[in-house]
Amino acid sequence: MRRRLGRYRRYGPGLAGLAGLAALVVFPLAVSAPWLVTVGLFTLMYAALASAWNLVGGYAGYPSLGHAAFFGMGAYAEAIWWTHRTAGSGYGPFWTLPPIGLAVAAVAVPVAWIAMRTRTDVFAIVTITFLFVVQTLAFNLRGLTGGAQGVAMPVAPFTPATFERPFYYAMLALLLLALAMSYGVLHSRLGLALTAVRGDEDKARSVGVPVGAAKLTAFALSVVVTAMAGGVWAYYLSFIYPQFAIDPLLSIGMVLMVFLGGRGTLWGPVLGAFVVAPAQQYLAYRFGASQLYLLAYAALFVVVMLVMPRGALPTLRDRIRRAEARA
Amino acid sequence: MHEAVQAVILGVLTGGVYALMASGQTLIFGVMKVVNLAQGALVILAAFLSHSLFTAWGVDPFLSVLIIAPLMFALGAAVQWLLLRPLHQDDAALLSLLVTFAVALGIEGALTVVYHTDYRTTRPAYVDRSWRIAGYQVGEVRLAAFALSLITLGGLWMLLSRTRFGRSVRATVQNPVAARLLGVETARVAALGFGLGAATAAAAGAVYGMVYSFNPNSHYDLISRLLSVVILGGLGSLGGTVVAALVMGVASSLVGALASPVWSDFSFFVVLLAVLLLRPQGLFGARLRGAL
Amino acid sequence: MRHPYRHASSSRALFAAVAATAVLVACSSSAKPSSSASSHAPLKIGISLSLTGDFSDPGKSAERGYRLWADTVNAKGGILGRKVQLSIVDDTSSPTQVVGNYQNLITKDHVDLTFGPFSSLLTIPASQVAKRYGYAFLEPAGGGPKVFAQHLHNLFFVQPAPVVKQGDVFADYILSLPAARRPKTAAYPALDDPFASPIADEVRTRLEAAGIKTVYQQIYPAEITDLTPVVSAMAAKKPDLVVGGTQADDAYRMVKAMVQLKWAPKLLYLSNGANDPHNFPGNVGASNVDGIFSSGDWFPSSNTYGNAGFLSAYTRKYGGTAGTIDSTSAEAYSCGQLLEEVAAKTGKVDNATLISALHTGSWQTLEGNLSWNADGAANSSYVLVQWISGKMLPVYPAGRAQHAPVIAALPWGG
Repeated sequence: MRRRLGRYRRYGPGLAGLAGLAALVVFPLAVSAPWLVTVGLFTLMYAALASAWNLVGGYAGYPSLGHAAFFGMGAYAEAIWWTHRTAGSGYGPFWTLPPIGLAVAAVAVPVAWIAMRTRTDVFAIVTITFLFVVQTLAFNLRGLTGGAQGVAMPVAPFTPATFERPFYYAMLALLLLALAMSYGVLHSRLGLALTAVRGDEDKARSVGVPVGAAKLTAFALSVVVTAMAGGVWAYYLSFIYPQFAIDPLLSIGMVLMVFLGGRGTLWGPVLGAFVVAPAQQYLAYRFGASQLYLLAYAALFVVVMLVMPRGALPTLRDRIRRAEARA
Repeated sequence: MHEAVQAVILGVLTGGVYALMASGQTLIFGVMKVVNLAQGALVILAAFLSHSLFTAWGVDPFLSVLIIAPLMFALGAAVQWLLLRPLHQDDAALLSLLVTFAVALGIEGALTVVYHTDYRTTRPAYVDRSWRIAGYQVGEVRLAAFALSLITLGGLWMLLSRTRFGRSVRATVQNPVAARLLGVETARVAALGFGLGAATAAAAGAVYGMVYSFNPNSHYDLISRLLSVVILGGLGSLGGTVVAALVMGVASSLVGALASPVWSDFSFFVVLLAVLLLRPQGLFGARLRGAL
Repeated sequence: MRHPYRHASSSRALFAAVAATAVLVACSSSAKPSSSASSHAPLKIGISLSLTGDFSDPGKSAERGYRLWADTVNAKGGILGRKVQLSIVDDTSSPTQVVGNYQNLITKDHVDLTFGPFSSLLTIPASQVAKRYGYAFLEPAGGGPKVFAQHLHNLFFVQPAPVVKQGDVFADYILSLPAARRPKTAAYPALDDPFASPIADEVRTRLEAAGIKTVYQQIYPAEITDLTPVVSAMAAKKPDLVVGGTQADDAYRMVKAMVQLKWAPKLLYLSNGANDPHNFPGNVGASNVDGIFSSGDWFPSSNTYGNAGFLSAYTRKYGGTAGTIDSTSAEAYSCGQLLEEVAAKTGKVDNATLISALHTGSWQTLEGNLSWNADGAANSSYVLVQWISGKMLPVYPAGRAQHAPVIAALPWGG
């Protein structure tokens, strides 16, 4: 009995994860209603974003509030590249995503190198300041971005009944990429180095851990996924404005989902996104008209912080472990 | 040249208002190491209260500070005592960032329910008056606001340097553990500090409501600038905050008048990032927790 | 006519979501069965509005206009015997949500028709969804150049003309003055916004062509709290005329800055904000408004089709006076008027009929008589208004004027 439990603990979550992923792959084929696929699409986007954020904010303990800037850069790069081109079969814009992800990451590395001279709360402020700088540039570099007028992309020529599918699978691919990165980081020396950074960076440095390289690698990986998600988002909406593409609330959303699910865990951010994102889409649609919305949100947010400061997964895991220890 | 001088005058006066708004935040950071994202929302809340007192009972906005400040003090102390004090110590810095953001949203939500999102301005009879000094126009309200800033900041400084409470605060800032050993009740000091920081928002809000138009969303416009001022001043340094606020006021006014206002905030943010790169402790900070 | 917009924040949807989760737990939601569209089934119209978030107040004005129209038409027995049923949902001022909402309305709730959202910035993504499913898209709030650059055949902007043209009526007025009385120099400060700066650009192009010299031109960002530096730089150039491409609160800020600096041009036109009968005097002071020009699509005193009935129905349903009605309500109401007229003329209310009918001939609304080009821009014109003795009055063109334009020094001028 005990051994079986042990084996379950070892393989169970992985198997459950695989089953979940299989369900996600089948979902848009099984469910034909476009609105449901749209909900799925945005849920996957947030799950990918939260998992990517977790690489920096969770594992390394550097809470970036500037990730929406990289999302926006990805969105703008995609939109600007395609604005005067035709989408052809409609799949072309997906193939420009990987180079865009890498290019934005290349921009992000020097930014991170500067920002990571500070830590925790100051780092958070520096990164959100960076976000405002990028947003201002999106408004002001009118020749490039179209400024406040926004920039249009070609509208994808997919048939209405299955219009969302390609976007859905693109987001799913990004989530898998983010999870693969997280898994790889967790099970590598990079993960060890990041854990050391999160614990006590100065001590880690003094014993020879390549602190700088570890932090920057995590940041760059995280940005690759974030920027590509921005690109898919831009293509799906086909028209973007600076204040929506580079939205500080997107950053806060990533943080919220990661905190809700559990920082520094593989599945926590996914859990957080799968709870928050669909609820948002559906419930704003159903119950949105109440002004008390913000108030109720603020109250609940505070309760979560006070009751489950480490997130749902670690809190639950602790409970189970304690219960077992007592048994 | 005339333009530049006029812009500098405006910038200094604006900087005074920002110094007042940011001083509360600096105090809160200094005492508790909490980056208070709700400071802008507290200012806007005070602006609404002052507007209501004026329109309903004709209370002069400057006098309304005396009524609003105790309320804001109580609110600030309550936020610290009920929401921030129970936070887990290891993560307190980051969690408090999120909690104060939630407080900001809560205030915004409450204001939206009560006041809706239309813009308002508090307009006492003297609001449009201005003096002409050596060919330059100086608004009466702005000048009075600047004076109020000086008085409030002076009062804060006296409180911190000359009173028993101030000594406890400074002791808590420098070494919380030692302060506790010496019998300072750090949790109470923190609550009082937060309350005091919030109370300064009363003065800032009353002034803000006369000089600018505002609605419940206005705190988003404030918070990034306030944070920048606090960081540039060297988190926790009152004097540094005042200088940083003046630098920001003058810089954005000059850029706005001589170049283009679309680059005003941008130029300030770039200066901020540059300062952080060269001098992570800010312009005046002696110590900056979290920096290398 | 308001297109408010914030810089840093746009949606609070995420946060709301957590709260909403609690709501879901509390109340078990009952899914409404979707009725099939038989000939006597209600006529369902889907609309997404910004009822929370930054655009929420104008969103509510639009809601009032839509609901008032539905009540009015249902009291008359509905459209072709079908009761009108509105499905109004909230998009929390977020583009992601607005796309999901129209999809929900069309593919899940199977509404028969859709009307456009508020705000303008959400119109483009929403109109693409309507296009995808072949729905006509009557929209009261998005009239920027990029809306029409989409070349959507199904889109109809229910205001007199594209927003760019809003200042044309002022340019017409200036150019109608004898050369000796025309201003010689002009300044053009404008908000960086798709629905504000194009207005100032258009007026500038026309006045420059007529020989009026541009001495100052500036774009300012939405989050600017203080326009005094801009106004002081502008005052140094001493323009006779200031044409502000303003939106709402920035119009208040500009007037306040001028008052503070005790500087006034000979003529002042502000595209929006100054046409708000209630908030403009409230923010800048009732004693500071006289002489200021603005323009708009609809005013309580308009003599357009059905306006008298609209005013009395509105005040009966919502209280208040005609003077406090927001033009957004009239814009929304006009969408409904169009639907009624098409149904009466063709005997049908399906999307294909709507699209083809509205593209031919001219149709009457509160906004005036409208006809549309292929991209959905109407070909009518705005009305110039001026604040005279504390009241905002239509002054140009002569056909719609209730008072002659007054050229006098602005109240705070030296």
